Amino acid sequence: MSAPIIRVTGLTKRFGAFTAVDALDLSVPAGTIFAFLGANGSGKSTTIRMLIGLLRPTEGTIVVDDVDVVREPRRVRERIGYMGQKVSLYQGLTLHENVEFYGGLYGLEPRALAGRWRELAERFDLEAIDAKVEELPAAIRQRAGLAVSMLHRPRLLFLDEPTAGVDVRSRGLFWEVIQDEARRGVSVFVTTHFLEEVDCCDRVCFIDAGRVLADGTPDELRGSWEAAYRIEIEPAPGTQTRVAAMLAAHGLPVATEGTTLEVHLPLLEARELDALQAVLAAEPATRVRVDEVEMAEVFRRLTGGAAA
Amino acid sequence: MTRARSFWTGVWAIAYREATVLRHDQAFLSMIIAQPIIMMTLFGWGLRNEPANVPWVVLDRSQTTASRRLVGDIQATGYFLPPVAVPDYPHGEARLRAGKAIAMLVVPQEFRRDLERGAARVQLLLDGSDPLTSARIGAYVAQVTARAAPGRAGPPPPRIDARQRFWFNRTLSDSHFFLAALVGMLLTNLCLSTMAQGIVGERERGTYEQMAALPTTALQIVLGKIVPLVGISLVILLVVQCAVGVVFGFWPQGSWAVLVVVTIPFVLASLAIGVLISALARSTAQSVFISVFAILPSFVLSGVMMPYELMPDGVRQLGGLLPLRWYQIALRAVIARGAGLVDVLVPLGALTGLLVVLLALASWRLPRRLG
Amino acid sequence: MSWRRLRTLVQREVRATFRDPFTVAVLITVPLAALLTFGFVLSTEVNELPLAVLDADDTPASRRLLADIDASDAFRVEPVRNRAELERGLVRGRTTAAVVIPPGFGRRAERSDGVRPPEVQLSYDGAEAVLAGNAEGALRALVGASGAALVGAGSAGGIALTTRALFNPTLDGRPFMVAGVFGFVLSFLTTLITAVTIVNERLTGTFDQLQVTPATAIEIVLGKLLPLGAVFSLDLLLMMVLAGIVLGVWPQGNVVVFLLVSMGYVFMSLALGLVISASSVTAAEAVQKTVMFSIPLVQLSGFAFPIRSMPTILQWLTEVFPATHYIRITRAIYIRAAALDTLLPELLWLAVFAALLAWLAVRTVEARA
Repeated sequence: MSAPIIRVTGLTKRFGAFTAVDALDLSVPAGTIFAFLGANGSGKSTTIRMLIGLLRPTEGTIVVDDVDVVREPRRVRERIGYMGQKVSLYQGLTLHENVEFYGGLYGLEPRALAGRWRELAERFDLEAIDAKVEELPAAIRQRAGLAVSMLHRPRLLFLDEPTAGVDVRSRGLFWEVIQDEARRGVSVFVTTHFLEEVDCCDRVCFIDAGRVLADGTPDELRGSWEAAYRIEIEPAPGTQTRVAAMLAAHGLPVATEGTTLEVHLPLLEARELDALQAVLAAEPATRVRVDEVEMAEVFRRLTGGAAA
Repeated sequence: MTRARSFWTGVWAIAYREATVLRHDQAFLSMIIAQPIIMMTLFGWGLRNEPANVPWVVLDRSQTTASRRLVGDIQATGYFLPPVAVPDYPHGEARLRAGKAIAMLVVPQEFRRDLERGAARVQLLLDGSDPLTSARIGAYVAQVTARAAPGRAGPPPPRIDARQRFWFNRTLSDSHFFLAALVGMLLTNLCLSTMAQGIVGERERGTYEQMAALPTTALQIVLGKIVPLVGISLVILLVVQCAVGVVFGFWPQGSWAVLVVVTIPFVLASLAIGVLISALARSTAQSVFISVFAILPSFVLSGVMMPYELMPDGVRQLGGLLPLRWYQIALRAVIARGAGLVDVLVPLGALTGLLVVLLALASWRLPRRLG
Repeated sequence: MSWRRLRTLVQREVRATFRDPFTVAVLITVPLAALLTFGFVLSTEVNELPLAVLDADDTPASRRLLADIDASDAFRVEPVRNRAELERGLVRGRTTAAVVIPPGFGRRAERSDGVRPPEVQLSYDGAEAVLAGNAEGALRALVGASGAALVGAGSAGGIALTTRALFNPTLDGRPFMVAGVFGFVLSFLTTLITAVTIVNERLTGTFDQLQVTPATAIEIVLGKLLPLGAVFSLDLLLMMVLAGIVLGVWPQGNVVVFLLVSMGYVFMSLALGLVISASSVTAAEAVQKTVMFSIPLVQLSGFAFPIRSMPTILQWLTEVFPATHYIRITRAIYIRAAALDTLLPELLWLAVFAALLAWLAVRTVEARA
């Protein structure tokens, strides 16, 4: 576990009587992909804007790459890349002109910039695209936005809902790139409300109404629920009792639903898998289906619990 | 339900929705409340064309009772600040050039002697930067010198006795001039900008497409937008006239009914201009922009702030194309002069004519836009 | 400050602004249109003003008086048959003034013993206060001049007054308005355009993105103000030349000083636009705010209405507007060729405002909610 590159304690943001973010504590280890997940209005964007110094917190501390962002927001700017919810490429300019613009602001020399852009365009499948920004389709604009935010090779990427409104193929591409960066040591802080994307990340934090609901690896979060894995077993006719008994003998909790058997488990590890293998070996005609609970269920459960 | 009835039912439904939207629109509400108040204050109380507190200098080479009495007489007109004495011409001119004084009275050394002989002369030098003020100051001083008594007994009889009377506005107060046309300015602003923004805003927000999907026609939609604005305009007309009456004691001399009759074609014409603007603009910001640049020349060329009769040929006629020109003529006739319906037939006719032309233009351009 | 970053920012601003045809059109045509519109509207002269005339005397003397009035360019005589008709004309606004020559005018004119001078009745439409004032001046002069010829030698008396205007001797309204238009355009249009562009940037998210880059607030502010300032400075020159060629109004004083002061004023107004943009969410809102702020400003800055005639509180208020001082300076240089040292107090005020606005603009950009 590497040292945390983002450390947040007691982060609070109030707009008048409304508390958008409530006493948040976060710790993001360097070189990981940290997902910040919540519904619209849960405080995700507010949090990320505070982390990069666009918004001043009402209370709390934020330390990003050893810089106190609350006091000195400007010091980190060379090291971070940001992609906001609205893709911030200038309309009226072409994509290349935007690249030139941001490259110039980050102090990249023209030749180095050209080389770097060639590299990024290839990775993001943006080659041979040089229309004006408003003429680009949304998906391409989004990919371009992410590429531009990485021009200066930042050590930290802050991405606010990067895949919102984007087609499936581009989404896949995005996460490929993000994971690629993480492998190269870049720390990525991502907010999203797509629960399926969580599995691409190293750590997940659920937020609701400005509060942290849960914080851990995707598996840890699943593990908080006994019914994380749902195994449906359809024994061949007549073999039901025998299969049930075998499962029980291995210590798996079995429930009978008509002609099928159901086993709910918090974790699916070697022991449970061996048990299933044994059963299948004994009764080959049995059909087994393993369902991993959707994060959506986990999330719903957690938010339900918080509301209760 | 007959077609006509269902048509109007549709219009009312849209009108009701429009009114509700407007009621919640902060910017709109602040405009119809704040603007009348600001303008009424400025025009009724703050702005004047008549000179006041005029700084002047006196180069009195005579230094006699007679010259001092002349200076005193001029001072007594009440338009001037106490005069500053200057020792010589260059000093006086420097003050004029620096904008520290607007007029310099030069009294020659032989003034008293000349006055007794009936051939006194004095010179008035003016700063022509603000010609209106200077012209008036010149006239006021001329009146004083014309009345000045010679050494002999009795004032000289005037050659022709001109009895003057300022009708409708005995004190010739500037504020009455402005306040009479105040409603015209407010309604121009209201109708032009709200209408222009309204249509463009719908297109932007995408609610237009929603509406177009309903069984309403473009005409119903436009009418639906117009109806609440006409209603609001009439309310503003009544409220502002009452406010001006209560605060400044300036009530319309003519009939309120005639005011309403004259207001309706004006409002419709202004709304039609708003519709045309919305046909030109591609975004709400653009439509507000264009409205502003249509409204300001309106104010200037129509004659609400400065008399249109004094404008040169060409410019004056150009102003005749503006609905506000005819409306302010009618407003001033009814409010300040107590004109009846018969007296405002010309402006009414002009307004109706403009309205017809504008409607034709609007219905030509708009369907293309609303698609 | 990094020159490279500043250059990058300016380059982008130039590209974005000049690619939008609407903005370019507005930037060039509005100042020129304003100049031509306002330049022509103010006049102290009376020209062919409709004058209703009721000659109830119908003697050579009365006819002579009317002929004198008609001969002048100031009025267009329209005879009426009775008082009802005269009144109708005034009420409808068709005539601004009326002359009634009562019966007995000619008889009294002949006698001219000074006891019962001949009388005429002059009526003015007071609803048109400015016009009535001008008409009065012209009409009385005409009546007075005519009277001098008509009536026998009256007693001498009174004081002969020679009036001369040192600057703008013809009392032409154009220099006054032209000088004011500079103030109007450079206050209003500058603030408007800046507010709108920045609000749009906030809406599209590019403003935020800019703040996350290494660009400093000063660089961002300059990156905005320099290109727009250049465009408006060009406008300034165009307006000056157009005013000269079409309206015949050239600056009488030091042109260099005028241009320098004006450019400074442009930057100030642009900075103000930036500050206003901070409080607006949509572009339409920014425009509404600017307009609501600017219309009273136009009326209070001495552009059209004399400040000295306002109530004292308002006079104090007008001193707070930079526009007031700028318009004063412009009129002083353009019309009176005032010396630089007499302008120092106004320039000082402007300098203070400029510093304040510059600081506010930088603070606005730096501000984190």
